[in-house]
Amino acid sequence: MKTPVEVTVNKKKYKVEVDTRMILADMLREELRLTGTHIGCGTGNCGACTVVLNGETVKSCCIIAADANGQEITTIEGLSSSATELHPIQQAFVENQGLQCGYCTPGMVLSTLQLLKDNPNPTEDEIRHGISGNLCRCTGYQFIVQSIQDAAKRLSNGGQPGASQ
Amino acid sequence: MKYIGKEIVGLPTRQLVAGKGQYVSDVILDGMLHMAIVRSPYAHARIKSIDTKPAEAVPGVVYVITGKEVIENMRPIMEAYDTAAMDAKSVKCYALCPERVRYVGEAVAAVVAEDKYTARLAADLVEVDYEELPVVFDAEEAMKPGAPLVEPDWDSNVMVTRDFIRGDLDKAFAEADGTFSGTINTQRYTGAAIEPRGYVATYDPYQDMLTMWASTQNPHPMRVFLAETLGIPETSIRVIQPHVGGGFGLKIPTFQEEPLIAYLARKLARPIKWIEERQENLLVGGHARQNRLHYDVAYKKDGSVIGFRAKVIADVGAPAALCGWGQSFVTSYCIPTCYKIPNCRVQLFTVVTNKCPWNAYRGYGKEAASFLMDRVMDGVAKATGVDRAEVRLKNFIQPEEFPYSQVSGAMIDSGNYPKALNRVLEMVGYKDFPKLQADARKQGRCIGLGIGQELTPEGCSMPKSTLLSGYDGCTVRVNPSGQVTVLTGVTSPGSGNETGIAQIVADTLGVDVKLIRVIQGDTDTCPYGLGNYSSRSIIMGGAAAQVAGTDIREKMFKVAAKMLEVAPADIDSEDGKIYVKGAPSRYVLFKDVASTVYRDCYGKFASDVEPGLEATRYFRHPNVYHQPEVDGRFSSYPSWPNGVSACVVEVDPETGIVKLLRYCAVHDAGVLINPLLAQANLHGGIIQGLGGAMFENLVYDEAGQLKTASFLDYTIPTAVDCPSLEVEHQETRSPFNPLGCKGVGESGVTAPLGAICSAVENALGHLKLNFDEMPLTPDRVWQEIRHAQQQA
Repeated sequence: MKTPVEVTVNKKKYKVEVDTRMILADMLREELRLTGTHIGCGTGNCGACTVVLNGETVKSCCIIAADANGQEITTIEGLSSSATELHPIQQAFVENQGLQCGYCTPGMVLSTLQLLKDNPNPTEDEIRHGISGNLCRCTGYQFIVQSIQDAAKRLSNGGQPGASQ
Repeated sequence: MKYIGKEIVGLPTRQLVAGKGQYVSDVILDGMLHMAIVRSPYAHARIKSIDTKPAEAVPGVVYVITGKEVIENMRPIMEAYDTAAMDAKSVKCYALCPERVRYVGEAVAAVVAEDKYTARLAADLVEVDYEELPVVFDAEEAMKPGAPLVEPDWDSNVMVTRDFIRGDLDKAFAEADGTFSGTINTQRYTGAAIEPRGYVATYDPYQDMLTMWASTQNPHPMRVFLAETLGIPETSIRVIQPHVGGGFGLKIPTFQEEPLIAYLARKLARPIKWIEERQENLLVGGHARQNRLHYDVAYKKDGSVIGFRAKVIADVGAPAALCGWGQSFVTSYCIPTCYKIPNCRVQLFTVVTNKCPWNAYRGYGKEAASFLMDRVMDGVAKATGVDRAEVRLKNFIQPEEFPYSQVSGAMIDSGNYPKALNRVLEMVGYKDFPKLQADARKQGRCIGLGIGQELTPEGCSMPKSTLLSGYDGCTVRVNPSGQVTVLTGVTSPGSGNETGIAQIVADTLGVDVKLIRVIQGDTDTCPYGLGNYSSRSIIMGGAAAQVAGTDIREKMFKVAAKMLEVAPADIDSEDGKIYVKGAPSRYVLFKDVASTVYRDCYGKFASDVEPGLEATRYFRHPNVYHQPEVDGRFSSYPSWPNGVSACVVEVDPETGIVKLLRYCAVHDAGVLINPLLAQANLHGGIIQGLGGAMFENLVYDEAGQLKTASFLDYTIPTAVDCPSLEVEHQETRSPFNPLGCKGVGESGVTAPLGAICSAVENALGHLKLNFDEMPLTPDRVWQEIRHAQQQA
């Protein structure tokens, strides 16, 4: 059975018909072709499917697509405007090698966005707790933590590197 | 500008951080169907009948297939690790089981439907009538006479054995100052990449071409396996590896779903996708590690080990076409790792049970060998009262004794174990630790320090093997405008070797690394190669790139020499200039030489070289021999990276919770092409080792059901569980690799096992604990504490 869904994703309005069984992650990936949102477990444990829904991060594998009707969503694709202009968080991840295979990265970046919105100057411990809902199997988290520390500095300095607190 | 040794961010990083990578699940084709698998709910059963009608009746279902159709149309899945070459027993495994299932999750039928929800729903409606058969889950039970047979055609459940002996064991044990024995149990665990497995297959009947996008580490071997299993030409198959979201060995073929989806795409002539669910990944995506290690040690009171016997009993699960069982051989091959023990015997029993088959997992059996030796060295320290570090230093193979032949025939290339150990002890503050520990104890805190050694041979090169032969290929092509295309046979599942290969070629040619584009993972464009495993991508693929690049460099130097009116031996290149040695102002631009070769092949500078600037070369690694020597032994690993870790833990005796306070590591993989990416790999390896030491466990119940088939139950480390790691590198060049490299990919994953065990025992020294079973979860630690307290 299909049901109509109207959503705003990355500031763009979409109107789609989706299977009532479809999860939000699949709708973003398969209907809207925003494949930067990844699926790693389907049970809300790994965080690869993290997106921002009405200003708060959620795990989009645990939300039925139809329930997103009328909501506003930001995915990883909404963070940077072009291949040359990355979001300061993304730039920090690049320069600190905060990823290897990249599969958990979109979710990790969006959780960082939430973390730094709630707490612009987190301690290492607060960073580790802030991303504890996102699993990474490649990095051992060390360069991710460094990336987030760098991102915090960049954001407090208008997106530029090098500012110290 | 030299690039080897420089820290350069991985080439695909910007694309991936933007969410613009393309993983297999991102391949979305018009008219694409979806496959779902019907899996056995029993650990051992005969398939009496299958009723597909209820599934076929579901609207949207296109096709249902069972094992009957598979055996009529396909061959058994080709083995990834050739059993015959290793005197191991073999089985015929099919893309779907035709008659009998041997573990929970083995595939018996598949449904293809217009969407994945319908496919999954219909798969649950396929009715399979089973007759349950006797089961066996414990390896030592399985070895007993009369045990149920996993394979009824075999005479026992033992798949392969080895018996390596050197010296006089009886004499050593008779002359020892003391002896002790023990048993270690390492648990079953796995890689659990965040991206599960997945394949998309499509078939063009007009070109007779099957295209398969696969989250795999080995596109070319996969093509061979598919061709053999499907009985079609290799040239009618193209395997494309898109971005891979982590491999760790688990994405090495040959899984049932690979030939299955390929067959269905050809039959239905429509694109089909299958993406593994996490539950399936943990159930059937390959397990590893489960060993029982019995040992006897003969030592002198100064701490030297003069005799050692080890019996490795590996529980490899059900036999399959996968290469995982080979890990058991590697465990036996590595013992006694970095130690020189004059009298040594290592016996291997590789045993099959009714559990998920092993597949390769980072460490590939080496971790069990090093863990065993760590436990032994700690045991000798406890028995003699000699310090743990002293015992290791006393028994190490010394730097001047390489290459050193171990009891198995392993030829260890080089290393400096004492230097690395001494450095890590400095880093962790070993000398001052007893005071720190005593002060903490006064405050009621139990802290402890542990040491873990690791030896991880790399570049696996097995005889008569499609997958595991020790070579790889590379094409270097300088284009007419001077930019460089590099096509390699090795692949990167996120590990960064494409960046390292670009650095190697940049230095070989003397050009900016930004001019180099590396292409991997496509059987139609890349030279034949074996892909990614055994930390081989730089030692094999990087070396092949250097050899191919050198061919092009020599050709360009010949042309440049004419342009500069000097002999080719008198010129060199750097920063895009080919110049006269000693007179760098006399140069021609690299791109002008390329242009001359392409655009003026009859002209005075380039007329005596062959047109074109493209070379494909293969590299075979020295220090491997496959002609067995007197004892039937051969050298299958050319390169022996090593490392040592020292960690500090705090244990809460009331809860059994272990907190890792510090983790220091010194790692030696020879020359590092890209220290940043080497460091990144090492961090990941160490934390996977931490997961194995403290959390991860694939637990079966008495009916053979996996109780840990989700990330709720199978808990991998989160950021909160990890300390900030302190890592240093030591460089002992490989004497056999032209780049001096030894391989980094599997480093780090081993030492945490020994180090953390040792540290927890040290933290609770007053209780005289002896951990012989992993992982050290709070409940296990708590029980050991309670047990020791009751004994006291």
